Amino acid sequence: MKRTATVSLLALALALGALPAAAADTIVFGAAVSLTGKTAKEGEYTRDGYNFFVDKINEMGGITVGGKKYRVEVKYYDDESKSERTAQLIEKLINEDKVTFILGPYGSAPSGTAAPICEKYKIPMIEANGSAESIFNKGYKYTFAVLSPAKLYLKGLVDLVIARDKTAKTVAVLGENEPFSKEVASGGADYAKEKGLTVVYQELYPTGTQDVSALLTNIKAKNPDIVLGAGHLQDALLIVKQAKDLGVSPKAMGFSVGPSSPEFRENLKGNADYIYGATQWTEALKYNGDDPWKTPKAYGDAFRAKNPKYTVIPYQVAESSAAVIAFWRAIEKANSLDPTKVRDAIAALDIMTFYGQIKFDSRGINIYKPMAIEQLQPDGKKYTVFPANVAEKEALYPMVPWDKRK
Amino acid sequence: MSLGELGQIFVNAVLLSGILALVALGFSLVWGIMNIVNLAHGAFIVLGAYITFFLHELLHVDPFLSIPLAMLVLFTLGWGIQRGLINQVIKAPLLATFLLTFGLELLIVNLINFFFKADLRSVTTPYSGTGFTLGSVRIPYIRLGALGVSLVLVAGLAWYLKSTRTGRAIRATGMDLDAARLTGVKVAAVYASTFAIGAGMAGAAGSLLSMIVPFDPNLGGTYTQRAFAICVLGGLGNVANVVIGAAIYAFVDVFVGARLPSLSRAVTFAILVILLILRPQGIAGKSA
Repeated sequence: MKRTATVSLLALALALGALPAAAADTIVFGAAVSLTGKTAKEGEYTRDGYNFFVDKINEMGGITVGGKKYRVEVKYYDDESKSERTAQLIEKLINEDKVTFILGPYGSAPSGTAAPICEKYKIPMIEANGSAESIFNKGYKYTFAVLSPAKLYLKGLVDLVIARDKTAKTVAVLGENEPFSKEVASGGADYAKEKGLTVVYQELYPTGTQDVSALLTNIKAKNPDIVLGAGHLQDALLIVKQAKDLGVSPKAMGFSVGPSSPEFRENLKGNADYIYGATQWTEALKYNGDDPWKTPKAYGDAFRAKNPKYTVIPYQVAESSAAVIAFWRAIEKANSLDPTKVRDAIAALDIMTFYGQIKFDSRGINIYKPMAIEQLQPDGKKYTVFPANVAEKEALYPMVPWDKRK
Repeated sequence: MSLGELGQIFVNAVLLSGILALVALGFSLVWGIMNIVNLAHGAFIVLGAYITFFLHELLHVDPFLSIPLAMLVLFTLGWGIQRGLINQVIKAPLLATFLLTFGLELLIVNLINFFFKADLRSVTTPYSGTGFTLGSVRIPYIRLGALGVSLVLVAGLAWYLKSTRTGRAIRATGMDLDAARLTGVKVAAVYASTFAIGAGMAGAAGSLLSMIVPFDPNLGGTYTQRAFAICVLGGLGNVANVVIGAAIYAFVDVFVGARLPSLSRAVTFAILVILLILRPQGIAGKSA
């Protein structure tokens, strides 16, 4: 009896204390992410990454501005994977919900439509999932990206192959016809040429394609040493499936997006072996940052403890958390909630985190953090194989041809 | 382009035609007989894909063996939807059935999303990706099997519509509703059978697609679009027209894709537009 009374009193006290605080001393971030549609999965990763760090800030007492602690909340909308919808929702977040800070959507196309809206209202946006440089070449002052730019995605795989095999000479590149993947594809092709390789095939396929047999037939005839794919998860799965169908067996096959997510192996089973994937971040990287977790491993363990449905942590989750870290550090440094002052603090940011260095060039993109390469290996696991100084394991090269596998 | 490459592209197009014919078959039947453009067709396809996926994943049923079950489930669902919902608005203006099937598609897709999440899935069997080689042309077993299943179902439906009593009643209803009614055809029942068969065919198409493309709850939309394009290309009113429409679609898609992949969709739909201007009844359709 007595115990119940104490508990209810305590609850009452907490409720009374919490109510006014939630109303006045809360910083609300706005975000429009794709929770349905083509990139629903990646949108979910984005949201979970944001929420994880937002919860952590609240656990630690909040963001300190002018000696006062502010709790943090995120107001979400679903942009249905449609970038024109993203723009409308960002406008709604700013005008109707009166948010003063925006966390980016998932993907380059929606980030690209969100950026001019943020610019118009002078509201800073830190995004974690749009790395097409086309967003950053327009002179926007209020849009920042914590991730490495698109053109660097496939560079590592070219370097890896060159280091392993002096006889590798030819590359085929196929990419999805949308801003981010186009830049990944041309960035990869340009880098291969720069390194003395010959690009024997370079084509784009339409978004949402359901058949790439025509492209792969063409590629097979050219018999390239390396096949680079620049698209999204669904495309990567389709390309591997049809490459096996048609017997396309290069020495190395890698994708900008896809292999890093657990669904890659779930869908392809053993056919996922030897495939490389570019990644912004893995748990195996040896960073030592100045944030609540410091190392990628500690971050991964903490995230899994809170989100048990994840066995592997996709990089989209980590970079989304990193975007919140950047806001957190910038707001505390600006010591103000004024959007323009926070914008200036973001532009001047230079911090080391579990995600790697976060620093923006004059266009607002993080060119200071390198991309890593992972490989799915026949033991059923995925290893970080590049860059060499942070690699867990040596890459298995060349890929065993489809018809030589058991 | 070498001869081997050309042969491979030709084979790719033939294999794709078969699957696309099955994708469009039910859609064409429902449209042709009942004048309903069933926007939920793609959602039925996705349901078929999920049935095959879960039977394979949980009970290790071979994906080809699960096709009859997927068809049966979708047939029953289609019957229920027609009896319970569409028959209520069938006499209303075309827009009403449009809205109804559009709503159904949203409902089904969102329910799948809710229960099974937006994860991408594929049915991967030990024989996935294996095949045989004819000269320099590779023929994957699954795609060949899918072509076989499609042909059997297309031929089966053609036979059914031509040679059975219900089949003839379905065709009669499509030709002249009032005359069919006067000769004692129970239109409500015929409509339910037609819609159920359409849904069943979509289920089979979904089963096959689950082995061929990675899918998620949102896959259906693009296949409704394709089915629509194929019906316009081939024309309505005949099973053979669907096959012709699917073949044109597949050949254009694959051959343009082989040279100008980034334009393949634009070219396919440009042909569609030109055709609509020149031959509004479709390539094989009879002029009114």
